[in-house]
Amino acid sequence: MNVLVGLSLLVFLAGISYRIYGWVTQTILSPDKAAAPDRVSSALKALFTTLLSAKLVTLITAFFTDVLFQKRLLAKSTLRWITHCLIFFGFIPLLLMHGLGTSFSESMFNDYQSTLQPYLTLRNLFGLMVLAGVCIGLYRRLTDKPQRVKSMASDWVSLALVGAIVVTGMLLESSKISSYSAFQTMAEDYGGITDAEELLPLETYWAAEHGLKSPNVTKPFDPALVEEGREISADTCMECHAPAAGAFVSFPLAKVVGPITASLGDATMVNLLFWLHILCCVGLLAWLPFSKMFHVISAPVSLLINGVMGFKEPGTNPANLVNRRMIGLSACTHCGACSELCSSLTFYESFQNDFILPSEKVQILKKVAAGKAVDQTTLDNLQKGLYICTSCDRCSKVCPSGINLRELFTSSRYQLLNRGVPETSMLSHFSFPLSLARTFVEDHKKALRKLETIFKDSFTKLKDLTTITIADPARVGTDSYQSCYSCQRCTNICPVVRLYDDPVEKLDMLPHQIIFSLGIGNKDIAVGSKMIWSCSTCYLCQEHCPNQVELTDIFYNLKNEALRRIEGGRA
Amino acid sequence: MKLAFFQGCNIPIRIEQYAVSATAVLERLGVQLEVIDEFTCCGYPVRNVDEKAYIIPSVRNLAIAEKRGLDIMVICNCCFASLQKAKNVMAANQALAAEINGLLAKDGLTYSGRTAVKHFLTVLHEDIGLDSIKKQLGKVVSDLNLSVIHGCHVLRPREVTRFDDSFVPRFTDELLALTGAVSLDWRGKLECCGAALAGLNSELSEALLNEKVDGALAAGAEFIMPVCSYCHLQFDTTQPAIRQPGSGQQVLPVLLLPQLLGLCMGIDEKILGLEQNTTFQPTHLEQLLPRLGPPVEKKKKKQKQKAQA
Repeated sequence: MNVLVGLSLLVFLAGISYRIYGWVTQTILSPDKAAAPDRVSSALKALFTTLLSAKLVTLITAFFTDVLFQKRLLAKSTLRWITHCLIFFGFIPLLLMHGLGTSFSESMFNDYQSTLQPYLTLRNLFGLMVLAGVCIGLYRRLTDKPQRVKSMASDWVSLALVGAIVVTGMLLESSKISSYSAFQTMAEDYGGITDAEELLPLETYWAAEHGLKSPNVTKPFDPALVEEGREISADTCMECHAPAAGAFVSFPLAKVVGPITASLGDATMVNLLFWLHILCCVGLLAWLPFSKMFHVISAPVSLLINGVMGFKEPGTNPANLVNRRMIGLSACTHCGACSELCSSLTFYESFQNDFILPSEKVQILKKVAAGKAVDQTTLDNLQKGLYICTSCDRCSKVCPSGINLRELFTSSRYQLLNRGVPETSMLSHFSFPLSLARTFVEDHKKALRKLETIFKDSFTKLKDLTTITIADPARVGTDSYQSCYSCQRCTNICPVVRLYDDPVEKLDMLPHQIIFSLGIGNKDIAVGSKMIWSCSTCYLCQEHCPNQVELTDIFYNLKNEALRRIEGGRA
Repeated sequence: MKLAFFQGCNIPIRIEQYAVSATAVLERLGVQLEVIDEFTCCGYPVRNVDEKAYIIPSVRNLAIAEKRGLDIMVICNCCFASLQKAKNVMAANQALAAEINGLLAKDGLTYSGRTAVKHFLTVLHEDIGLDSIKKQLGKVVSDLNLSVIHGCHVLRPREVTRFDDSFVPRFTDELLALTGAVSLDWRGKLECCGAALAGLNSELSEALLNEKVDGALAAGAEFIMPVCSYCHLQFDTTQPAIRQPGSGQQVLPVLLLPQLLGLCMGIDEKILGLEQNTTFQPTHLEQLLPRLGPPVEKKKKKQKQKAQA
């Protein structure tokens, strides 16, 4: 067993080190690995600056409110908070009191015995808390999970492992309570009772009152023997072994487990359950660093950083910005709180792109950061998903792990755009908050120029036309343009046309020319004109048109078509 | 009266003071607002990309309000137009309406069109009424010239927005008249702030913005009063960034209608969040507060009565 525990501990420690190393080395598609020393020193500098400043108070407050009390989770959902509290405040005492063997407990409590009260009852209580938490968690994943968020294998494994530790632990305890061989060993080793005359009453008493499943004594028990056994027990056993009923879960469970283990051979079953329990424990230990359970380490770090920094002003040190992104990625528990509140949620119905949901963006970004192979199509979808974002920041506000999703997503968006794959969604108002923030200005312009080139290559311009042909009227969602009698009121009132000295040169076509081109059935030059992308959508033309031509709506229709054609050309 | 407050994406995170001041003012006027977490984006940002994707979110938001039996109040013009557009489309296009309702069914929602969409200005002007508001204004402001910029999408297209008069809107001016402020007649009043082009063609967007700022300054405005949240962000965030000190270009500070109404109602300026407008400096408040005083109209009447006597 020691070998097993030792091995898993090694894997655990190596895994933790590897993940922490990832905090200062991983990036989103940015090959600058040499920045690691700078990132370490920036992180340490920021850490010490914080510790030596007044922010220390904020840090300590954040530790209690955000990390221990889980304030953010409580704000999100009481049920989730209860679930987390049950698991956390059940598991940690179990780990300390029981999991670390006697080393922790004996140094804390001088009278510690795992079989004495209150430890016997507490162990059951903590186990029950964890189990209740796991059950609510499972229930939530099955019935009340955030819409459109898919549960992944790792989500189930995490819950299952934690649950399995407790279940096997309880089964082990109940099998020991009922086990005859365990009784024999205990009576002999601890009580020093070998004499059959003493053993029989003791056995009867333990079978009658402490759940022992004995092959020798069965109901109805001889009351005299029980009483005699009680006295022997009081003299020899009870000093170190409280009544088994104190294990308020395992004791009743023993009534069910006892007959089964007895029929299968109780010594073997105790042994088997022991190894199952140990396997679950070391399994979780070794698996933890490589799974979302790593959040037990990364989420507190992320929460503390968030407690001190907030998310609105992420700081200016580029090395630390990357560090925080990577810590954030490792702190995600895929709980789906962000996706539940995502303002872009409904766009999922139109684009069928998982990466519109923030929680799913994080999962794939984790892979990208870890350097795992992600195919170009997935990256293209991720890029679009990152762009179909209203920058409402609700995800950053709600994240129970305090991940600065706003900053993570914005920077990742430009890292992906730097691959050179054009993003048509840039030509939407999703670009408005990005432009407002005035970050990544050059990257944004570069990506826009890329699109501009594609437009140039894809469409015929008015000035390229040598002859004018007449075809069937264009379909643009409305026929209202057919009432145009070329009064040019639209062009004359357009605030964009007014801004230019040479509008035809800058805009390719003027509003009335676009309507005219539709009239003669040449939609192509309209779709390719810069005018539609320079339209401020103020609707002045449409409102002032004497013939109710729906110019602005038509321009929207042409924009949709232009993007569809470009996307189609790429495919 | 109770309304579902549709704040959109910009207001809660970037212009919280607009929501807080509007809520405080409406509370005084007996209107309760309920903020609904399930509301998502109105769909506006995606309109350049896909018209249907633009419509669906607004229908869903309307269905969410419908489920709670509430009408919606909106501040942001773009949200307002999106919601109204969705109502129009759902009434006009039966096939699309059925398709979208099919999607909504997944979330246990249905759209029947019962929910009305009201702009904040409509709630003030039509539902509460000028007389009721006037009664709540303990103070009025004197010598204050403002440039209102209505924003486009509350006014146009009129068939969709069904708001006030798209050529000669009077709601804002009449509400402002109650406070004693003068709403200037200026060239950009009904025109575009440039927000729709920001990030697509920022140069053009900023040119449109500068044109408005210069126009309002030339008309003698002390403040600009945007109605729409996009206009607000153009004037309050982009403006100071592109008209830096030393550029020789003056920055025109932003004052919001509920902030001014709130001052006249005697609501604490901290609650109204005046200084959360980035362009609004403490000096502006110092200059503004002394100009607030009790309405003088009554005195004049009394003087007239005395004179007549």
